[in-house]
Amino acid sequence: MAVVPLVPGVAVFGLVYGVLARQAGLSLAATTLMSLLVFAGAAQFTAISMWAQTSGPLIVLTSLMINLRHLLMGASMAPHLRRQPARWKAMLAFGLVDESYALAISRYLRGEGSREFFLGVNVAVYGSWVLGGLTGGVLGGLVLNPARWGIDLVFPLTFLGLLVPLLTRPVTGAVAAASAIVAVVTAAWLPGKGNLVLAILLGSGIGTLLESR
Amino acid sequence: MNTYAVILGMALATYATRALGIFLFSRRLPPVVERLLSHIPAAVFAALAAPPLLAPEGTFAPGLPAVAAIPAAAVAWRTRQVFPTILVGLGSYWLLKWVVG
Repeated sequence: MAVVPLVPGVAVFGLVYGVLARQAGLSLAATTLMSLLVFAGAAQFTAISMWAQTSGPLIVLTSLMINLRHLLMGASMAPHLRRQPARWKAMLAFGLVDESYALAISRYLRGEGSREFFLGVNVAVYGSWVLGGLTGGVLGGLVLNPARWGIDLVFPLTFLGLLVPLLTRPVTGAVAAASAIVAVVTAAWLPGKGNLVLAILLGSGIGTLLESR
Repeated sequence: MNTYAVILGMALATYATRALGIFLFSRRLPPVVERLLSHIPAAVFAALAAPPLLAPEGTFAPGLPAVAAIPAAAVAWRTRQVFPTILVGLGSYWLLKWVVG
């Protein structure tokens, strides 16, 4: 199965989420329920990093913004699902995450794709994400002082690891640089992570302007 | 806002983004909108990574985390994977802390 190499990575990523969610103050039930219902790595990491000092609606809005990329992934997947019944589309949409999309769309592009393969990848990624998060959630209460060991650095390092592979074009470098600068410079005077919203809007806006020339 | 209300809101927001793309496939967005959306992930990840690394106390003051991010970024570029990036970043940070004292 093509998904096998991804499973341990997703499970460990889920485990780190579970540990950090508990340290952010979420109960074991809330930690696990978020993995079960939301199933979105970057959005869940972001939500728990904002949890203590940010209002609920802003967390939901941030989840929406972070997951907007899935709208485009879904759009590019849509032609391959055109003949599938609505219940299959609805089910597959729930599991459309970066990893499952990447595997499934490459199969479709090779002419070997199927809804069963896409669903199988979704189930494998979902299962390892939820079980990893549950394990991390159980372990989370045992870790005493994460900041002392630099465990809190897992957040920015995770996002660095997601960002760097995207930097294959100059325009993306400009987007990232503008966003990073805005986020750092406005952090002091835009509380409640409002600096992130401004940075994301300005960064993606600058990228759009550069490409429109 | 109640914890479970936030989780439900996140779930609905996340599912909406995933289902909308698949169900509204025939409706083409203006190219400028698609371009804007395509830049959001890089903008999001940069906005989330930069402040804790470059301004841990709220104002620009890069320290050990910023230095540790350099080998981590190199590993991210080479492996294109998150987990080795985390390992090398944390390892470098611990090494630097041990050396600096």
